[in-house]
Amino acid sequence: MSAASPAIEPNLTTGTIVAKPPRPFVLARRTIITPILLALLMIAIALLTMMTGSRPFNQVIIDVFLRVILVVGLYVFIGNSGVLSFGHIGFTCLGAYVAAWLTINPIMKKMAFSGLPGWLIKTQMPYWEAAIIAAIFAGLAALIFGRILMRLSGIAASIATFAMLAMINTIYSNWETVTGGTSSVVGIPIVRSIWPYLIAAIISIFIAWAHAISRSGLALRAARDEPTAAAASGVDIPRERLVAFVISGAIMGLGGALMAHSIGVVTPDTFYLGLTFITIAMLVVGGMGSLSGGVIGVVFLSALIQTLRWLEAGVSIGDVAFAIPKGLQEIALGIIMIIILALRPAGVFGNREISLTRNRGD
Amino acid sequence: MINKLKIATATMLFTATAAFPASADDSKIVVGFATAESGFMEAYDKPATDAALIRIDEINAAGGLLGKKIEVVKADTKSDRAEGAKAGLSVLDQGADLVVVSCDYDFGSPAALAAEAAGKVSFFLCAESVKAGIQGVGPHSFSASVLAAVQGATMAEWAYNKKETKTFYRLLDTWTEYNKGICDGFDWMMPKLETKGAKLVGQDTFKNDDPSIAAQISRIKALPKEPDAIMLCTMMPGSVSAVKQIRAAGINSMILNGSGVDGSYWLSAVPDLSNFYVPVQGSIYGDDPNPEVNKFNAAYKAKTGADPSSMYVYPGYVMIDVWAKAVERAKSIDADAVVAELEKMKNEPTLFGPRTFTSELHHQNQTKYLIADTEKGKPSIIDSWTISEPIPLDALLK
Repeated sequence: MSAASPAIEPNLTTGTIVAKPPRPFVLARRTIITPILLALLMIAIALLTMMTGSRPFNQVIIDVFLRVILVVGLYVFIGNSGVLSFGHIGFTCLGAYVAAWLTINPIMKKMAFSGLPGWLIKTQMPYWEAAIIAAIFAGLAALIFGRILMRLSGIAASIATFAMLAMINTIYSNWETVTGGTSSVVGIPIVRSIWPYLIAAIISIFIAWAHAISRSGLALRAARDEPTAAAASGVDIPRERLVAFVISGAIMGLGGALMAHSIGVVTPDTFYLGLTFITIAMLVVGGMGSLSGGVIGVVFLSALIQTLRWLEAGVSIGDVAFAIPKGLQEIALGIIMIIILALRPAGVFGNREISLTRNRGD
Repeated sequence: MINKLKIATATMLFTATAAFPASADDSKIVVGFATAESGFMEAYDKPATDAALIRIDEINAAGGLLGKKIEVVKADTKSDRAEGAKAGLSVLDQGADLVVVSCDYDFGSPAALAAEAAGKVSFFLCAESVKAGIQGVGPHSFSASVLAAVQGATMAEWAYNKKETKTFYRLLDTWTEYNKGICDGFDWMMPKLETKGAKLVGQDTFKNDDPSIAAQISRIKALPKEPDAIMLCTMMPGSVSAVKQIRAAGINSMILNGSGVDGSYWLSAVPDLSNFYVPVQGSIYGDDPNPEVNKFNAAYKAKTGADPSSMYVYPGYVMIDVWAKAVERAKSIDADAVVAELEKMKNEPTLFGPRTFTSELHHQNQTKYLIADTEKGKPSIIDSWTISEPIPLDALLK
């Protein structure tokens, strides 16, 4: 069995706790530095963005924060359970449409979504209230799907989550009176301030951390590394997976709602394969088993994408203008990702978390 | 690890400080193109952008606008909505007074919404949905093309009046809003024609990527008499296969289309196609009744090295033309003043047909179309038609 899961070295095993009777919050005190450092990184990026005063750059950073939320959401489930999910962007889609249903002005809503119930058409609320409801809605959907899906494991579970994504996408692309079908949903209030996105990203990071060190999170990580031993020790694997699935679904829903507010337009095809693969790639490059890996993976790849785009647009050094051919950005990004994974198959961070003491996780 | 953090942070810092130096400048007028320079939308955006640049060059050569040179700034949307919003903000930061956005409503709206929020005029290069304007963006947003519904209505009315078409068959590809728009216009026109003796003998739908429309074709064949005309509401690439299958089945009815199938690049796939009609704003075939259009085609070839591939080149030119006229009349680039002047335009003549904007609709719901007829695989302009009354807003918004 140990040969089946070689590279994974859990930093938070159940063993460390059971060995001696734990004092309350000892694990929390020992690990809280990780989310704090990650939050400080986010704040530093936000402050830096504010200093530049450039609106497009502001939008770039909003995108980075949105990706952080989505990748943290993915990490809560994929990182802790070890089950690769292709379906989480479906919850993002659910969240985005809830935000649309709740924030568009009722007159426009009546035209776009004639099939919505009357009370919902009349409702109009501030974006942050809508975002909370979107998160709850996506969490509920995850609960319903998860009750069935979490009984599966391995590749069957991954394919089943993918089927869920396809299902959500098909329903939202065709239920014209409720979702507007494949047409763009417009009229969603645009939020261009960076702070709500920053706050949501930090909240997601702390939720992910709290879940990872909770009883359920630790049990799930144990089940990821040694399923047989964990089950023998009384861990109800489907149940622990379901808990993670619901929490991650809710975070994805929150991300979806904010994504809707960041550009003001929602269509079902935004929340499909493209977004699924880029977010999973960010998590894998950063390190699937690590919260720090997920967050820094996003920051690193986003910075890389932005630099390549900027090179595509052309820069002048002295009198020499220099530009890489258009479209090279995607190719270069792919090559860099392959190199990283060739050198570090478990991602940049592997299973470790950032902290002030070096390699605490080992 | 700390090193990686530093690198990442340094990269961000570098990107942040180096990109987008910008400030407004009173000595020039800035037109910002937040359009696709890569990705699939480039095929639509690039030709129309080139046409717009030709008009800008002409204006600059004639002394500029309000005595100032027009300067062009660009940002690539990469055919992506989120990038579109950034591109819109980017050209705004570079001082754009007019923000030109992607051809398609879905892909252009994020940038147009950014312009609207900044209180600037935005123009869709060639979007043909009613949403591309006040209804889907706001009071400062316009589209340079003509509503898809006008195309369907034009073809129906023209065929009835000029070709004595009595029986119509409606075949809708449900893939895009554009397709539905063409058939919406047809549906609005048909009851008017039915009072004069025309008849809709049947209707059917298919999907653009259906490999076969044999079922739909057998239903047409099952009709007691072949319909005089088939209103085909579809677009590339599925249209080619649909037309091919209809003709291969021996149905020789007139085929009426929207402008989306204009161009001769695909005709070799359906050899000797005949009885095939498309509404166009100008002719790319060198036979436009207006010699100025042929002159424009030559200018376009000189600039880009190729003839226009379809009529979707032309709206870009019209866009700069009407906007520049509005700026001249307003004597200002203030967005509200320019919008007010644009809304005063009633049948304003342009190279590619008259243009009207009102405070309710920043789009064309009635304009002149040329009719291109393809006979034996060779398209040419045979007629022109303007629908008898404008399509009302409620028919467009359904």
